[in-house]
Amino acid sequence: MEAAARLKAGRLPFWTLTICAGAVLIFLSSILESILIFDRTAIAHGEIWRLVTGNLVHFSALHLAYDLSVLFVAGAIIEIRGYRYYPVLCLTAALFIGIVLYRAEPDMLYFAGLSGVATAAIVYLCLHGLTEKGAWRWVCAAALFGLGIKFGIELTFNESLLFATGSREFLPAPLSHLVGAVTALFLFALSRLRERNSLQIRPAQ
Amino acid sequence: MKRTIPAVSISILVALLTVTVVNGCATGQTRHATSTVDYLYPNTKDPIVTPGIPVLTLPMRVGIAFVPGDGGGNYGRGLMAVRNQRFILTEKKKMDLMQEVANHFKKYAYVKDIELIPSAYLTPRGSFANLDQLRTMYGVDVVALLSYDQVQFTDEGILSFTYWTIIGAYVVPGERNDTHTMLDAVVYDIKSRKMLFRAPGTHHIKGKATLVNLSEKLRANSEEGFNEAAKGMITNLDQQLAVFKEKVKERPAEYKVVHSPSYSGGGNIDLIGSAMTLVLGGFFLWKRRRA
Repeated sequence: MEAAARLKAGRLPFWTLTICAGAVLIFLSSILESILIFDRTAIAHGEIWRLVTGNLVHFSALHLAYDLSVLFVAGAIIEIRGYRYYPVLCLTAALFIGIVLYRAEPDMLYFAGLSGVATAAIVYLCLHGLTEKGAWRWVCAAALFGLGIKFGIELTFNESLLFATGSREFLPAPLSHLVGAVTALFLFALSRLRERNSLQIRPAQ
Repeated sequence: MKRTIPAVSISILVALLTVTVVNGCATGQTRHATSTVDYLYPNTKDPIVTPGIPVLTLPMRVGIAFVPGDGGGNYGRGLMAVRNQRFILTEKKKMDLMQEVANHFKKYAYVKDIELIPSAYLTPRGSFANLDQLRTMYGVDVVALLSYDQVQFTDEGILSFTYWTIIGAYVVPGERNDTHTMLDAVVYDIKSRKMLFRAPGTHHIKGKATLVNLSEKLRANSEEGFNEAAKGMITNLDQQLAVFKEKVKERPAEYKVVHSPSYSGGGNIDLIGSAMTLVLGGFFLWKRRRA
């Protein structure tokens, strides 16, 4: 019932559109790209915003297209269904991805791409889907199962299953996907905990 | 009758030869070996190639190859030369071992590609001219040259043999039916002719075979020897790689590191991720229309 009510609201996926527009804008501007890309040397010299903004930069049109298509679909569904904390999810996922890659991949000089954030959005969407009824729940469960296998293979071989961008203009960073997924899991758990606490407080009032 | 000095000398020589031949037939030792030294520096006892300063462009394209032996890389004497003619390290086995090494090093971000180079592309005593050809053919900057030395004894008493590696010789004592194996990986920057690092892997199997199943047992030991030596070599390669990375940082005058534009990590969605999202999106839309 609640989900149906949310759907009828027909809200515009504001945050998703903003992020996608931002990524396109950065891709079109080489100046913005150079200011915002995850650049290890620049970060070490204090330009710490790059830890977050690096996620918005892309190396090629195909790279951008794949990442945006996934983020757009997952993000739009999240916003249309009215799941909470989506902007917080995007921001924390981007931040954690930047920090973890900076610490764990010392050989990686540059990083770019929204796929970690997009993965966070898919996982967050599917986790919420598990709490709902009907076929949607099973579709989400299957997607989570598939993602779990994908992460396992990616991390074992440090390689994407089917490298979508065609050329090897950069090395894949599967760790960013894992960080995105873990962030989504934590945020989902926190949001559920908070909802449960508020439900427990309400009868007492 | 007086014996002359030449006659005595000839008699002694004949006696010595007879002892050697008889001993050679009664005992046995099979050795299969190739040498990186012979391959790279074939015409000189002391290597005189002056290496330059290597410029390592990251991520690197690395080649792996077994160096060829002079005459097929094996020789033996005595019984074993006949018994163990079917050497275990076939071309397929070599490719498998190289694949094992390659799988281990694919995980490093500074390794872009690893090419397994079949033995047919390496000329015996081909030296750096041959490596230059491989560099052009495969587009590799750095090559890991693998050589091996395996000895199997079927003799009583104290025996020994010598492993010749790029940095010198190891003398290893042997006993009856022992199998000694060494795999040696030497990593070279082809353009500068500079050896970056090396890592050996050795393994020793104490022989327990009886004459009944000697041939089969020695063959099994030979295979086990190579497998275990390969494991040791991979572990050593890991350690030497870590040491080399530190060395590069500490001695920038000796090693130059250049990062190619592709030395970047990308958060990329693959086809499976895209397909999964499309299914989710499609189902969501379908459900929404029905609602």
